[in-house]
Amino acid sequence: MFTNGLSWALLGAALAALGGGMGSAAGVGIAGQAAAGVVAEDPGKFGKVLILQLLPGTQGIYGLLVAFITLSSTGILGGTADVNMTMAKGLLYLAACLPIAIVGYVSGKRQGEVSAASIGLVAKRPDQSGKAIIFPAMVETYAILALLVSILAVTGATALPV
Amino acid sequence: MAVVSMMQIRIIALTEYRKPLMELLQRRGVVQLQNDLPHDDVFERLDITAPCAQFQRGAQAAEQALEILSRYAPQKAGPLDSLKGRAPLAPGQLEQCAARRDELSAQAAEILQLEKQLCEAKAAIPKLQVQIGALSPWMGLEVPFNFAGTASTRAFIGSFSGDHTADALLQSIQLPADVPLDLTILSHSKEQTCVFVLCPKKNAAAVENALRHAGFSLPALAGSLNPQQQKAAWEEEIRRCEALIQKNTRLLAGFGPRRADLELLADYYSVRREKYLAMGKLAQTRHVFVAEGYAPAPDAAALQNELREKFFAAVELIRPDPKGEQPPVELRNGGFSAPMEGVLASYSFPGRGEFDPSFMMALFYYFLFGMMLSDAGYGLLIVLVCGVLLAKFKNMDKGLKKSLTMFFFSGISTVFWGILYGSWFGDAPDVIAHTFLHSDFTLKPLWVNPINCPMQMLMFCLLIGLIHLFAGLACKAYLLIRQKDGMALLADVVSWYLLVGGLILFALASPAFIKVVQLGFVLPAAVGAAGKWLAIAGALLVLLFAGREAKNPLMRLVKGLYALYGSTSWLGDLLSYSRLLALGLATGVIGQVVNQMASMGGDTPLGIVLFIVVFLVGHALNIAINLLGAYVHTNRLQFVEFFGKFYEGGGQPFEPLAAHTKYYQISEVK
Repeated sequence: MFTNGLSWALLGAALAALGGGMGSAAGVGIAGQAAAGVVAEDPGKFGKVLILQLLPGTQGIYGLLVAFITLSSTGILGGTADVNMTMAKGLLYLAACLPIAIVGYVSGKRQGEVSAASIGLVAKRPDQSGKAIIFPAMVETYAILALLVSILAVTGATALPV
Repeated sequence: MAVVSMMQIRIIALTEYRKPLMELLQRRGVVQLQNDLPHDDVFERLDITAPCAQFQRGAQAAEQALEILSRYAPQKAGPLDSLKGRAPLAPGQLEQCAARRDELSAQAAEILQLEKQLCEAKAAIPKLQVQIGALSPWMGLEVPFNFAGTASTRAFIGSFSGDHTADALLQSIQLPADVPLDLTILSHSKEQTCVFVLCPKKNAAAVENALRHAGFSLPALAGSLNPQQQKAAWEEEIRRCEALIQKNTRLLAGFGPRRADLELLADYYSVRREKYLAMGKLAQTRHVFVAEGYAPAPDAAALQNELREKFFAAVELIRPDPKGEQPPVELRNGGFSAPMEGVLASYSFPGRGEFDPSFMMALFYYFLFGMMLSDAGYGLLIVLVCGVLLAKFKNMDKGLKKSLTMFFFSGISTVFWGILYGSWFGDAPDVIAHTFLHSDFTLKPLWVNPINCPMQMLMFCLLIGLIHLFAGLACKAYLLIRQKDGMALLADVVSWYLLVGGLILFALASPAFIKVVQLGFVLPAAVGAAGKWLAIAGALLVLLFAGREAKNPLMRLVKGLYALYGSTSWLGDLLSYSRLLALGLATGVIGQVVNQMASMGGDTPLGIVLFIVVFLVGHALNIAINLLGAYVHTNRLQFVEFFGKFYEGGGQPFEPLAAHTKYYQISEVK
């Protein structure tokens, strides 16, 4: 039912979880390959490269977060959903979810690439691991900004009398 | 509480005191020797390559032996053993090790030898098994492979490829009818048919030729034993190897209790090596030697007296030329800001003319960290774990101690913010009350729950960011005042305070802006007007003076314009602090998700079990992820936004000659 708002809202929540999760899965995957290579040479660097591998994992969590807020503010979670939600309101939720869905996907993947490069840096210069952590964190900034917009938009949309 | 001021130190002493003097320096660990003394006809350097290589070999042998012992006589290590740190070594124990050096080295060599034999035996067994396998088609042969025949006969031992019968083979071997030939099949399979051929000695050449034409080939085996005997001999060899493996494994396991000795030996050699490396930096004649380097000013005088008294050395302390080479940097801080030294080291140590920002960093670090993690339950957990570990393991590694202290203080701040936000393991108190106690209890936050008014919280986070950035700018002002550079103070600091501060006042007095950001107050229009003029004044200062180094007035104006364009970076820097809100929300909301999932079983016995399991696993995951997030992003805010305003770094850390040991801690003796 295209005119049912609830389907659109659920689509938004699903996209947020999908985009963030896919981005993180790709990013953590890329970084993990590099990390495994480094640990094969020097098992002592496990702790340092594990942190770097985990860094692109946050987009998935941000996606989950926005999906959860959407599910709970539409009432899908908790069983108080308004089955007659207008299409306009549903689309509002969908639009609110898009920033973290799209930016989460792209930044997760990119952050994974930077993490892999940083893992290479730590392999050669273990003393520089502090700086190596900063480079992937730079990419994450944009995921955080998207998360913030999504959270603000979802909570804002809930209050709108549409 | 700052960068320790360094003194240049020059030591001149008689060569006969060289060793004890260097040993004293190594024990004190307060002098970093420089490598730039001249060496010419008068002064020469000690050749240290041979002793250093010898000590390195010794240390490596001990390390290898220890590594072998860790495989054959594993030490039971508890999960917290790594926190214990290195055991202190009583004074004189290292010297005792010197006396036992040969005995201990022999022990290490024996361990290496035993392991080598063991590895060889392990490699030999599969090889022998392959050989025994290759022997199996020949087991019917009763003579050795090198059997050539008797006095009047000639024997050929070999194989044809493929499966043949004796008749078929005899037919394929084309010989004159008068040559007698005896052919016995030893074994046959799809791949090969092994045969024993006998003929009169006089026909040997003809038979050999005919055999070769028929595809006869000699076996890859040889020897004076027949296959039965050979197999028995090899089996005996395998048994011998297996016995050796057992014996050596037992012997190696027996070396387990000697681990401490070997660790001492490894440390002994690495300490000696370090001393000799330092000796290579001396310049010396036949009777005297000169050492030059840096020593921290607070320790230098005491060292000077000690060297004079004990070794009659001439010790000169020189204040380094501020325009010359930058001395190495050592930071000394109190317990509150010392943990920042590790964070600072991962960025860069203070460069020339800079001060140690540890204290300023510490203030904001704990504050921002707490805001991002912002859960009182998690904070308490961190405080408890770090506090107990710090109290229990006094002797732990210094770097680890700093990290744990950092998390301890960050944990306190996390508790503070958690209470303000009303977050205890997410909304655990509410969920437990609803599900199991059936009350509609809700824990009120002391201040505000950020999810309920995100816009105001966002503004609050940006305000914190503004304070952080302005504090960074204040650090720059302090530096410039110290350098007495009034012009730079006006153009690079005051101007930005005016511009950014003025713009913010102007915005806060504008009703349109206030409506967007949903703040509950608006500043009077007069303040807005004042803000406007302050901002214009600041912008003019930047425009006119930021490019003051350019001679050409047009260039200067262009540079000023470019600097003014840099005001956009202030906007980016400020918005970057929105992560304080986003990460804080992330912790709280994920905690809520965990609690909601945990409570799905309801108030039944099974539900309680489900609650406990999901609660523990879920919150453990949430702590791990958000702890990492808070750590990484606090570092980012410090390095990028805060340091961007004033700090460059580039100093080299102070690395004194000392006893850098791996297993034991060498205590200082007076």
